[in-house]
Amino acid sequence: MGFLVPFFNFFINPKKVIQIDESKLKHLNEKSAHILFALAEAVIGEEFRVKVPKFVEMIDDYLGYQRRSQREALNQGLLIVESTIVTLVFGRRLRGFSHLSLPDRRRVLENMRQSRVQQFRNLYAAAVNISASAYFASEATWAEIMYAGVSVDHPEILTGPPPPVRWRPNDTRPVEP
Amino acid sequence: MAGSIVEGRKVGENRTLTPEFCIIGSGAGGGVCALKLAEAGFDVLVLEEGGNVPEGQGHGGTSHRRPSFTEREFDMYKTLYQEGAARLTSDGGVKVMQGRCLGGGTTVNWSACLPPRTETIEHWRNHFGLHFTPDNLRPYLLEVVNFLHIHRNDRYNSSAQALIRGCTALGYHWGNLPNNTHNCRECGSCGVGCPYDRKQSGIVTWLPAAVARGATIYTDTKVDRLVRDGERPPEVHAAFVDEKTQATGRTLIVKPRLGVVLAAGAVGTPSILLRSNINPNKLVGRRTHIHPVTICIGRYPERTHPAYGVPDNMMSTQFASGPVGYLIETGSFFPVLNAAASLDYGPELHRVMREYYPFGAIMYAHHCSGFDPKQDYGTVKLDKYKDPELEYRLAPDNARAMKHSLVEMTKIHLAAGAKSVYHVTNPSIEIKSVAELGKLDDISFEPQRATVFTVHVMGGCPMGAAEKQSVVATDFSLRETPNVWVADGSIFPTGLGANPQVTIYALALRAARFICEKHGKPFTLNHQQPGELPWDF
Repeated sequence: MGFLVPFFNFFINPKKVIQIDESKLKHLNEKSAHILFALAEAVIGEEFRVKVPKFVEMIDDYLGYQRRSQREALNQGLLIVESTIVTLVFGRRLRGFSHLSLPDRRRVLENMRQSRVQQFRNLYAAAVNISASAYFASEATWAEIMYAGVSVDHPEILTGPPPPVRWRPNDTRPVEP
Repeated sequence: MAGSIVEGRKVGENRTLTPEFCIIGSGAGGGVCALKLAEAGFDVLVLEEGGNVPEGQGHGGTSHRRPSFTEREFDMYKTLYQEGAARLTSDGGVKVMQGRCLGGGTTVNWSACLPPRTETIEHWRNHFGLHFTPDNLRPYLLEVVNFLHIHRNDRYNSSAQALIRGCTALGYHWGNLPNNTHNCRECGSCGVGCPYDRKQSGIVTWLPAAVARGATIYTDTKVDRLVRDGERPPEVHAAFVDEKTQATGRTLIVKPRLGVVLAAGAVGTPSILLRSNINPNKLVGRRTHIHPVTICIGRYPERTHPAYGVPDNMMSTQFASGPVGYLIETGSFFPVLNAAASLDYGPELHRVMREYYPFGAIMYAHHCSGFDPKQDYGTVKLDKYKDPELEYRLAPDNARAMKHSLVEMTKIHLAAGAKSVYHVTNPSIEIKSVAELGKLDDISFEPQRATVFTVHVMGGCPMGAAEKQSVVATDFSLRETPNVWVADGSIFPTGLGANPQVTIYALALRAARFICEKHGKPFTLNHQQPGELPWDF
């Protein structure tokens, strides 16, 4: 999809809502980091920045494990999302994605999700995947989903009772058919 | 004299080594060959692209043996899987999860151990001339069963219990899926590396045994290509890489005196051959197969603690036969895995995670594929940076079977008492009763219309008796290239229809036997204690 970048590439500079030190980034640049953050906020919600304060650094590091061509595709995709053609078509707004309100960003996301163009669905899925993975990797979110944590940090998990087994202790174990 | 494990990322100079055998890959195939060739007295070098996972006292108590296995999903997917567990088929349609660490897939799989499907090996015999039979595979399978302590662990987690209840109610088959674990702690973390060394993966079994017999393992060593030199074994040109597989600037050249064993897996092995311009019959990378996996999550009235317990020791073979048959299995699932499978966002994503994660049970179906000669299935290619890329097209009969599996797994969940069943489709589908199953009629498996993933990649260097229609001969030797053997899942001419690690182990044992016999060295199976295999085979 990289060939589309020049066509779409008359976007305005992304909105800067967080501090980004570009010198610490290896795979994202300041623009792509701001766009990615705006996307993640649209996927997760405004609480995102509180629960995953190091999101940009975390994803930049993660991208280091990716194939080079995948990294490039993501950076190109972010520029496309920010372009006003995309926000006009998918969100009926003539501003860069990162400048849109949360409801407007979500309207763009929803239309990308439903798009007949596979590449836009791929971009949508990448945004959801990256944001949701980073968010639910954060210990600060685990209470929300009643997750107790991992056994090496909470060895008591392994000393607690196993999940209830209906045929124990009173029933005999079922016989495999 | 014992060998050693050398961490390539720490090597400060270029090196040249001259072992007798160079084995590329330390997963199921590479580990077996390393041990058996070292046992036969060969000087063995193993090259692994991923990082070492050294033993040591972890922070989780005295039984925690691998400090690098923190069980933190995001960090573990990043460091233990290819491309940070974000490897995708080229159209983005299938997530491909493959290990990239010492022990390869054996380090990160869920410990499920099944033999090959009898009908698959019959198909291989009839269509590709591979003379595998239950009888002649039995000693190799027995060796694997005994060495890896493959047994039936019947302590079932909540997802497994749901499968039992649902299948019982519907009159469907259910049964134990044997595991290669020993005194399992039931932390549920098989998929991110067993921190307690209870899973009998390569890093606990084949590899340390090989090192004890003199093998040397280089981790963080990415093979670029083989360089052929007439009838001599090819040189292996590799680069030392950091934990992100970025070259450190130091290189390794291996000049094996006797041969090379390729065991880099069904994406890795074809890509090395393609970079080396070695392409017997122009078939390298073609007809690469996966077991496409569909998932659905049931929401139950009580909390299920879905992360904990033995992950994958229950299955239903109700629909497992036939060219596109599927095995239903269960698993443990963690927050990131759950969230990454979803195609929802915003408040709906939060609702699904709140309602389904704590009360969820997961079922998934591995679909067999690769039996239709008219379909292309997958092709491993190189991208512009010469990194591997898998093009894959779902065959129409697989797509039909995948819809069928979603319907059946939904029925099983509902029969087990689920209040609702969530499908990771776009848009997501929630089903609360059998009357709503029609909602699944229009499911599409086009990219990002539904989450499809795979943890089993096979083929790409198909073995066959016909000289012009295969990449690997029936003695595991690479065609058109002297002194090179292939001993991994890439030799499968079709999908297997069962979790492949045990089959790869068994076939790699056979490969090692051929290599030993060619060089007049003894080959023995040392763990032939009589006993029943834990499966009907």
